[in-house]
Amino acid sequence: MLDDVDLTCEAGEIHALVGENGAGKSTLAAIAAGEIAADAGTIERSGRIGLVHQHFALIDRLRVWENVVLGHEPQRGGTIDRGAACAFVRELGERYGLEVDPEAVVETLPVGIRQRVELLRELARDPGILILDEPTAALSPSEVERLFGTIALLTQRGVGVLVITHKLDEVFAHARRVTVLRRGRVVEERPISATTREQVARAMIGGEIPAIPEREPTHGAIAVRVSGLAVPGAIENLSLQIAAGEILGIAGVEGNGQSALADALAGLTAYRGTIERPHSIGVIPQDRLLEAVIPNWSLLENVMLGRERATSAKASWRIDRAAARAQCAAIVERFDVRAASIDATLSTLSGGNQQKLVVGRALVDNPAFVIAYNPTRGIDIGATATVHTELLAARNRGAAILLISFELDELFALSDRILVMTRGALRGEFSERRFDREAIGRLMVSA
Amino acid sequence: MNRESAKALAIGTLGVAAAMSLAMVASHVSPIVGFNAFFYGAFGGKQEIAETLASTTALLFPALGIAIAFRAGLFNIGAEGQLLIGGLLAGWIGTRIDVPPAIAIAAIFLAGAIGGALWGAIAGWLKAARDANEVISTLMLNFIAASLALYLVTGPLRAPDAAGPELSLLPHAYWLPTLLSHTRATIALPIALLAAFALRYVLDSTWFGYRLRAAGEAPEAARRAGISLPRVALWAMAWSGALAGMGGAALVAGELHRFNTQLSPGYGFIAIAVALVGGLEPLTICIAALAFGALESGGLALQAAAAVPKDAIHVIEGLLVFALAARRYLGARGAGAR
Repeated sequence: MLDDVDLTCEAGEIHALVGENGAGKSTLAAIAAGEIAADAGTIERSGRIGLVHQHFALIDRLRVWENVVLGHEPQRGGTIDRGAACAFVRELGERYGLEVDPEAVVETLPVGIRQRVELLRELARDPGILILDEPTAALSPSEVERLFGTIALLTQRGVGVLVITHKLDEVFAHARRVTVLRRGRVVEERPISATTREQVARAMIGGEIPAIPEREPTHGAIAVRVSGLAVPGAIENLSLQIAAGEILGIAGVEGNGQSALADALAGLTAYRGTIERPHSIGVIPQDRLLEAVIPNWSLLENVMLGRERATSAKASWRIDRAAARAQCAAIVERFDVRAASIDATLSTLSGGNQQKLVVGRALVDNPAFVIAYNPTRGIDIGATATVHTELLAARNRGAAILLISFELDELFALSDRILVMTRGALRGEFSERRFDREAIGRLMVSA
Repeated sequence: MNRESAKALAIGTLGVAAAMSLAMVASHVSPIVGFNAFFYGAFGGKQEIAETLASTTALLFPALGIAIAFRAGLFNIGAEGQLLIGGLLAGWIGTRIDVPPAIAIAAIFLAGAIGGALWGAIAGWLKAARDANEVISTLMLNFIAASLALYLVTGPLRAPDAAGPELSLLPHAYWLPTLLSHTRATIALPIALLAAFALRYVLDSTWFGYRLRAAGEAPEAARRAGISLPRVALWAMAWSGALAGMGGAALVAGELHRFNTQLSPGYGFIAIAVALVGGLEPLTICIAALAFGALESGGLALQAAAAVPKDAIHVIEGLLVFALAARRYLGARGAGAR
């Protein structure tokens, strides 16, 4: 996994650790934080090393304060001093700009707030070094700004912060040094002032960044027509249309009804109003591990999921293994999924390769309508380029595509038209690829 | 047999052997004498082998049924009740029809399957329509099944020739042919083995099996892929009950030759252990059923020859399940902490 890696993070600096998925970043973080053991080598540290996981390690059923003080609870006469714990959480939150209601139950909180809880839990242990694993993967632009504000406060207090990311914008905006990891080895380590984005990107993927295909002019008829859509508690009276050969981007902060919209269109939730859409549909779900794949199964069995018709024998109740194998091999080939074999267990693949399989499965049957929900969340540059290429290719083929993303860069790169979603309603329409980043950002946070 | 289930089987065998040695030493019996008695009781002669095979059969049907439910993520602990209702319907049909023996035996097994399926489907329907926890509903349905069977055989279905809570004797022609003459080993065993192979085929090569495994392994991903979780719950429980019910039919037509409410001394519960030791894989479950069948018949001999109480064997079986469940849980945690 890792081979002879040297990494130094100094007190009070922001150090970016970048690399493609599967390069070994998370493994390195876990070793540094003492969660797993290294086969060889040493770790010297001044003070504790705290780790904020990409997939949060919180106890969802417990309250915020319980999560934060777990393991070092303030005591009073043999019982936990709840008042002191809550006060501690509030005080710590104010100091670092991480305000959270200490009494809230974690599972009721949105992702951005959960991350604050995870940060608070680590800060409560007074770390000398804090490692953040893909901290901005699920945050809105304003939340990202806020997070880096907190990180700046930490560095002023002498905490060294190691940020694991693949977003080079963030690296160049905030970090002082950058270390590039590729296939378990350090391939570059420099001050930010002595390198460029292109240089870092090339070091990450070990070659040139693949080009995204041309956007061919398409003039399709309306393929998807939604009117008066309402999903209780999430969406009221929403209407939209998507033409064949069009990518409609939905911008917005997480938790504004995007999930309900995607589920209603995919036929997974009850709704009022009318939805007219093609029968053939490909879905790239938001949460890969929970919603899209069965991690303990092979690539082969995962590719069959939801594609019974395409992999049935003559008798429709029987699986055509040979056809499934051929299709799986074709997906692996066309979507550049890197795996030992199609019989390998899916969880042994890196996130980017898993996602390429999910995208391949959604697109391989040439659906007339595609729902892509954060299709590149948490995956690396190479895999992102593959996913973007394939989505554009599907568009050029004439598919109507609904792209829901929390990343404006992704929406700008792919969309023909962008709508902003807040509180279950769509506002603003930016068409003919005339996108105004500021205007969209303002609409995203408007009440 | 995959590596995981082979490992479970090996650990189980060693654990049982160690625990049995302890039980023997605790009863002041030399393990050499004890194991000698045990193995003689299980495999020592035609009669002993037949007893082992009969127990194997009685455990194999419900264990296969339990595996279906468990693979679908449903903890069916109601095999005992499903077996009883299956046996009741089989025993009733057997006294009501007048057809050639081969057809009668087929009808008896079919009736057992239908009875068990209906009983299992109740819990499946409650899960599908009302999201009722199947652990509770299947457990409670065991008690309802026992009371219902007792009521029916002492009330509406009361047989004139009955000496206890039982139905009339089946016509002699409908008794299952034996594999070894004058023993309890009948053609129910090959039927159970056939069912195991069929189940393996269904799980591996049909969409029904695929959906069932997907729903058990990752319900949210399965639901999003268009698999109806309620439908899987209903059918998995029905098929699970059907196999347990066939076990009841085999006991009725093969051993007692009539339905009796005391049909099963807890086969439906021991079968949970058999299914888990077999790693929920049909073919490995056959081996596990043989091991538990040997424990049943050998344990009886051990009690007779060496005065080691048969309950000790049941304690050992319980410990084995406990250990396997703990290992599964600890294994899952280990993987999660990665």
